[in-house]
Amino acid sequence: MIAAAINTGALLKMLYTSLLASVAIAVIFSLAILGATRSSDMRRARRTRPATAYAALAGAGLILTAAIIAYGLILVANKS
Amino acid sequence: MSSDIIMVIVVGTALAFDFTNGFHDTANVVATSISTRALAPKPAVALAALLNFVGAFLSLKVAATVAQGFVETGAVTPTVVFAGLIGAIAWNLITWYFGLPSSSSHALIGGLVGSVLASAGSGAVEWQGLLDKLVVPAIVAPLVAFGAAGLAILIVYRIVGRLRPGPVGRGFRLGQLASSSLLSLSHGTNDAQKTMGVITLALVANGDIAASNFHVPDWVVIAAASAIALGTFVGGWRIIRTLGTRIIKMDAPQGFAAQGAGAAVILAASSAGFPLSTTHVISGSITGAGAAKRLSAVRWGVAGNIARAWILTLPAAALFGAAVYEVSNRFGTGATGPIVITLVLTATATGLFARRQRQTMPSPATS
Repeated sequence: MIAAAINTGALLKMLYTSLLASVAIAVIFSLAILGATRSSDMRRARRTRPATAYAALAGAGLILTAAIIAYGLILVANKS
Repeated sequence: MSSDIIMVIVVGTALAFDFTNGFHDTANVVATSISTRALAPKPAVALAALLNFVGAFLSLKVAATVAQGFVETGAVTPTVVFAGLIGAIAWNLITWYFGLPSSSSHALIGGLVGSVLASAGSGAVEWQGLLDKLVVPAIVAPLVAFGAAGLAILIVYRIVGRLRPGPVGRGFRLGQLASSSLLSLSHGTNDAQKTMGVITLALVANGDIAASNFHVPDWVVIAAASAIALGTFVGGWRIIRTLGTRIIKMDAPQGFAAQGAGAAVILAASSAGFPLSTTHVISGSITGAGAAKRLSAVRWGVAGNIARAWILTLPAAALFGAAVYEVSNRFGTGATGPIVITLVLTATATGLFARRQRQTMPSPATS
């Protein structure tokens, strides 16, 4: 009865999607902060190239974070 | 005439429940932002209220699940809905009084199941739906949130651990604006719809809407969105304190990881078809973010009290719902029972608020 009632496939999907999304947003946003902080440090040390590379990392991280949030909003709007 | 009076009482009670839901669950979305000082308390609560209002308009599918997934619609009368709502409000008030973040959604469904059990017996309850859509997600979701937040914070510390703490803290506080906004929206979508579902269920039971033409009227959507937003704005400061500071003392990365994991679990569960409690998820993720840093950082006694409130919510609200239905029935099938019970509940709630106000007021200085 219990095994029949519980949708194991949906449960597993929820498990791995949650873990994947949590880790993805944590890694991407942390990399954005790493990029922003290191870029500022490098600018102060007048190392232009690494400063630009770290700024690009920060920018890419922020754009990806925004994309994940936008995807989340779409899921909220279409939730079952 | 009598059934119209009952319907007015049911709609009023449902909106009162929606208000207590917003009031009670404000903590879920704003506690971590306030705790890490990402946002000052008043703007945090105002933002949550606004996004709860907006979120309530995003989808109506959960409303249909609540109205049709847990009890036989044929067994539902306006008095049954009224008794279920009062059971849920009573349990929400009790857990609010003790500062415990229990699930308003589970209280609502528990209250309804209890009143249906009292009125029509166990055959009118969809036990499989209850197990599949409520009990299993209630057990799994907090554990997943605990693990996801724990894993996330370990990775965050690995990446930013050697950086200067000032910019890192500022960055994560900014990130919390986005993560708490996402949580507020999903809360408004989830929880306001549960009230919409209950009001629509009562409208079907009263014959105002045909069961074959199930739809949520616009005025129900607007009223439920406004009630949950108002409740959120007034805010449940006692529960904010429990979630924000008493489980763990959080830093900004922990707050971000907890909210990010909470939002991820709610959205993943929604896309997999599990309606679940935001309270359970965010409590699990806050505890996970704390435990991953240091097990002793979590106040396990507080976490244990919260877990006990979760386990008790469904049966306790069901018991209240059944008792309210029985008491209401003693006054006959008219509007007298609901009127008397509403007056008693209003007086009790006012007394509880006054008592709490007195307890939290600073005592006058003595010379």
